[in-house]
Amino acid sequence: MIHFERFTLSNGLRVIHHKDETTPLAVVNVLYDVGARDESEDHTGFAHLFEHLMFGGSINIPEFDTPLQEAGGDNNAFTSNDITNYYDVLPVNNIETALWLESDRMLSLAFTPKSLEVQRSVVVEEFKQRYLNQPYGDVWLNLRPLAYEKHPYKWATIGKEVSHIEQATMDQVKAFFDRYYHPANAILCIAGNLELEETKNLVEKWFGDIPSKPKEIRDLPLEPSQTTYREKTITRKVPSKAFYYAFKMVGRVHHDYYISDVISDILGQDKSARLYLKLKKELQLVSSINAYITGSIDPGLLIITGKLNDGISFEELDSELWKILDELKAEQIPDIELEKVIAKIRTAKEFQEQGLLNRAMNLSVHELMGDANGINEEQDHYKRIDPDAIHRVSNQILQRKNCSLLKIDTDENK
Amino acid sequence: MKINRTLRPPLHPIEKVDFKSPAVITKSGLKVYHMSDVPNETTRFDIYFNAGKIEGNNVLASIVNGLLLSGTKNKTSNEINSEINALGAYYESGVTMENAVVSIYCLKENLYETVKIVQDAILNVEFPQKEIDELLNERKQNFLISMEKVSFNAQREFQKQLFSSDKRYNSITELEHFNDISRDDVISFHDQYYLNGLEKLVIVSDLKRDEVDRIIDLFSPFKIGIEDHSSHLVNQRDSINKPMKNALQSAIRVGRILFTKEHEDYLDFLILNTIIGDYFGSRLMKNIREDKGYTYGIGSMISEFKKSGYFLIATEVGKEVKEDALNQIKLELEHIQTEPVPEYELELVRNYMLGQLLKSADGPYAMTDLFLSVEIHGKSLDFYNEAIHRIQNIRPERIMELAKKYLNWKDLTIVTAG
Repeated sequence: MIHFERFTLSNGLRVIHHKDETTPLAVVNVLYDVGARDESEDHTGFAHLFEHLMFGGSINIPEFDTPLQEAGGDNNAFTSNDITNYYDVLPVNNIETALWLESDRMLSLAFTPKSLEVQRSVVVEEFKQRYLNQPYGDVWLNLRPLAYEKHPYKWATIGKEVSHIEQATMDQVKAFFDRYYHPANAILCIAGNLELEETKNLVEKWFGDIPSKPKEIRDLPLEPSQTTYREKTITRKVPSKAFYYAFKMVGRVHHDYYISDVISDILGQDKSARLYLKLKKELQLVSSINAYITGSIDPGLLIITGKLNDGISFEELDSELWKILDELKAEQIPDIELEKVIAKIRTAKEFQEQGLLNRAMNLSVHELMGDANGINEEQDHYKRIDPDAIHRVSNQILQRKNCSLLKIDTDENK
Repeated sequence: MKINRTLRPPLHPIEKVDFKSPAVITKSGLKVYHMSDVPNETTRFDIYFNAGKIEGNNVLASIVNGLLLSGTKNKTSNEINSEINALGAYYESGVTMENAVVSIYCLKENLYETVKIVQDAILNVEFPQKEIDELLNERKQNFLISMEKVSFNAQREFQKQLFSSDKRYNSITELEHFNDISRDDVISFHDQYYLNGLEKLVIVSDLKRDEVDRIIDLFSPFKIGIEDHSSHLVNQRDSINKPMKNALQSAIRVGRILFTKEHEDYLDFLILNTIIGDYFGSRLMKNIREDKGYTYGIGSMISEFKKSGYFLIATEVGKEVKEDALNQIKLELEHIQTEPVPEYELELVRNYMLGQLLKSADGPYAMTDLFLSVEIHGKSLDFYNEAIHRIQNIRPERIMELAKKYLNWKDLTIVTAG
């Protein structure tokens, strides 16, 4: 059970206070309710580029990192399709430094041309390093637009193409800040050995005078239900053929989310999962195989992915894979198999919640989805899952017409 | 009252860090470290063997390690994995240059049962030929994928050169190694370095002493290994460029053989290393990422074996700026040899390093890892009290002195790939 308190400032900033007496460190986590899904299709990669600019100095403080390091702290941030999340970890007696820094960049950035110029090229190098200059690195750049037709999940966080980042202008940067970076669009979590009153005073002191703006109501295009099977093949200079089956599933706030997560574990979490045992150990069609879910807030994907052994065709794999999926849909899953998956989820959650930073982030994400206490209810969602639920949801998800397949073929002329 | 946002809040320096060693239990010559101060149900259990890559070729060490659960006379690999998973446990294994480590992550209530399954699997493994072939095939595919990466290629060439004074350390993986491994090789490696190569056990768990003893007793059939680690590696520099036709970026590795925690210069060099490239505000990050935008990241580190260590600068940069990036690295290393580090920068690094040390000692898992990092050099956690003292008292002249002594460009191996 993770204890926490909540309050909201008059400017709309939502604050979570989580006390932990066992650590000399504190975490300041600031989640902004903006991700790549909020970008327009001709300026993708912007939420992530903007995350880089948040370190380029704010209105009253020329640099973000140095004062935090002087306080013995460090920090980082990440952008997903759903959110942008910033965190600072530092000795608890210096926590005010982090609040000073975070509040100033929520108030306003410095918007220096040099910062924009440098971070554009840093992000272009990141694009190359992680997506273009890696074997299989561009899979998601191809899979997203295949699986999604309308919803902005059809582009990756890094952006659709390098040129979108290269063309970003200062006017666009300022407009983006005005629209998304204000108290009502953020959730602040303070974790560490602090009393609620201390947190309240400090947060009011540093964030209380940031002007309020109305939170924009998100109105994204809905992804229509998929009605036909899709398939795409790309050829790359890679050593093995690879496949990505993407099945549409519900988003994180839907009850079936947890059931879908368990289905992906049954299929491909570990070395006693169904796909591994059949396709790798018994039939030797693949050298690796996994299944997982994307975990997004809007309707997401259940992915089955692997690499083919030499001499095996995509067709052989496809036919055997569907036999396994059809069996899961037709027959009841044995209790013991379901219990195994739930037991591993429980262990994983205990380990995850060991860390103060993870707790702070998860509380913030749950608050964004409606209630920070969701963090304490997850285990019950999993415990309640029975074989009938697996049967019902697997029959909804694991259908050919609900599937998009990306095949990565090897370039034989390499 | 309106606050003045240009004034920073007062800083509170870190004066001390609470270090807590695990209990040391010695049983029939076997060293066991038990960290019991765990405020929840989580548990980690590590088994160390003297079965690293320096024993035989790289591929053999890693294949044997990957096959520890491949099946016994009584159980198939599938059965073993199913039993472990049914206990909600996670099994991990890996090899470094000098060790092989098997780790179990689970809840306290399941530790004994899980260890029993893993112990039996490792002790009685039969290495079925089919399992060997499958793993060789899988690892070969992974190797081929890695060979497409500039970073992997640069690291390979770097290690090949840097460790050339000891052939056990510079044997790097080649494609043909995957074809030369027989079941007999596997069995004899397992016999020599696992059955007769147990090194130590580490338990992080809120268990009572008798429960710990019950677990330790499971390892009585294993013999304790005799360490046979390298003499001191000798720095031998070279300059290597590996072209890769389709690469968009070039990977750069610059470094030299250095020393371990046992050397008197280690702690002060650690501070020098931080200034150069071991934090976000480091000189290399400031210059090559934040000023020039050449890279997504650049960093430096000190890496250690039991008796030797090395210093390394690593980055991936745009192909077209490779030469200038190298030149800037050179300039930064020259600069730190000739200009004293300004006091404000030194003060920042002091505070940052003390904060990081606090973080490295936070919670039972971090604390245990911190302990293990000194234990292999025969030191206690007092080493980190000494570190605090050195960090608080370091002078700019000392930084310059060490930079002159160890960071001359002519002593460094420089590798580029891509």
